[in-house]
This record gives sequence, C-alpha cells and structure tokens, in this order.
Amino acid sequence: MIELDQDPPRRQFETLIPLINVVFLLLIFFLLAGTMTPADNVAVKLPTGALNDSERDMPATLLVEADGFVWLGDRPIDPKIVEQALKEYLADKGMERVAVKADAEAPAEALLLLMEALRKVGVQQVTIVTERGR
Amino acid sequence: MFDEPVRRRNMASLTPLIDVVFLLLIFFMLTTSFLKTQSLSVVTPAPNASELPTDARVVEIWLMGDGTLRVDGTPVARENLTEAVKAGIGGRKDMTVTILAESGSRTQAFVSAIEAARQAGARDVGTARVEKITP
Repeated sequence: MIELDQDPPRRQFETLIPLINVVFLLLIFFLLAGTMTPADNVAVKLPTGALNDSERDMPATLLVEADGFVWLGDRPIDPKIVEQALKEYLADKGMERVAVKADAEAPAEALLLLMEALRKVGVQQVTIVTERGR
Repeated sequence: MFDEPVRRRNMASLTPLIDVVFLLLIFFMLTTSFLKTQSLSVVTPAPNASELPTDARVVEIWLMGDGTLRVDGTPVARENLTEAVKAGIGGRKDMTVTILAESGSRTQAFVSAIEAARQAGARDVGTARVEKITP
C-alpha cells in the first residue's frame, strides 16, 4: 500500500525531465542562432542583391519607405528637405558609418536625393542594406 | 513519515524554474531575427550631375521610369545586365559606369545596376537622378 502511494509522484517527476531538457535546448538554440536587433519603425522590404561588402555595426541607419519618405530615427521627413535634419541626426552618430535601408519598391529618386543630401553634409560613402537574392 | 514532506518540497521548487525557462524561451523566440542581410557600399553622388564624366571611358546604365533598363541606349533585360555592361567595358581597366535613374525607377533596379557595374569590373560607379532621359 505504501509503495503504491509513492509511485505516482516519482513517475511524474521522471516524465518532466525530458521536457525540461528540450526546452533548455530550444532556449540555447535561440540564444546562439538569433541576433538581437532593435526593431525598425516601419517595415521595409529590402532589395535583393548578390554582393556583400560585410559592413557591420552601423551606428546610423536611415530608412527609406516604399512611398519615398526618409526616416531619421523616429520621424519621417521628405527627402527634398532632409539636409538640415541629417546634419543634426548625424552630429551624434558620426559620419563614417551610415547605412541606408531602402524599400525595394521605393523610388530610386528618393534614395538618390537622400544620398545627395548625405554628400552635402559630408558623408562620402553609404552602405545600402540588401537581402541575399536568388 | 519524514520522507514525504521532503519529496514534495523538491517537486515544488522545480515548477518556477520551468516557468522561468519557458518565459525566457518565448522572449528569445519573439525578439530574435534570423534575416541575413548583406551590405553594399556606394559612393554618394555629386550634388550636380554635370560633374559626371561624359567622355568615351563611360558606360551609362539608364533606369527608365517604366522599369526597363538600357545600357548606352540599348534596352537590356535585367538578367543580362552584367554581360551588357561587361561588353560595354570591353576589358579596359579605367572605365566608369554611370547610373542615371529617371523619376519613376525603383530602388531594386538601382541596386541591381550598381551590382552589375561592380561585377562587370568598373573602376568607378557614378550615380545621378534625372527627370527624363532623352536619348
């Protein structure tokens, strides 16, 4: 009678251990395989490309939305008048490493307007973020 | 008599641990992104397009407003762009490729053109926007 009473809890305990093992494994997988990046304000569908210059850790990232608006941090600005705001935005981010995440469907004109403004502000080279294409 | 309380305490201490591990798991599942991105370095364009060279050592890629591409005025399909630019360069080392984007062209075409120019072996890649390309 005593043995019968003791058996059920032990069996429960034993079936729990593989579950915990699997959960731990999943946890470690996500810890190692994933990269944590701050979420962008707007969803941008990146253009596909084949080349990779392997530029990493860009402190200043500008977004160009599909409708052509440029996001500096948390505010959208028309690319035609972006110059002054760029100067202020890049003052504390640095001019050396500027990344542009442009939507694949964004007008090339908006991207070029932004790049012209960057040149006027003193940025010689930008990094366009792309996705590995087919 | 003394065995039972000890075992029960062991079981109880395991449950919060599992809860925390589950929470961590869900946190990492939601916050991680597996999207692999690449980067493409581009020199920013000169403020006015007239500074671009226009002599014989230049191959021009036109991004038309309707989405088509032209190399030195000849229409080219997107997948043949690299070959067309390579043919225009013809193996010379001092060639510049200029990409002119008409209003209405898209970023995807622009990125493809830059990559084609670099893969074809251009020394410099210049970019400019124009309202309307007049052949």
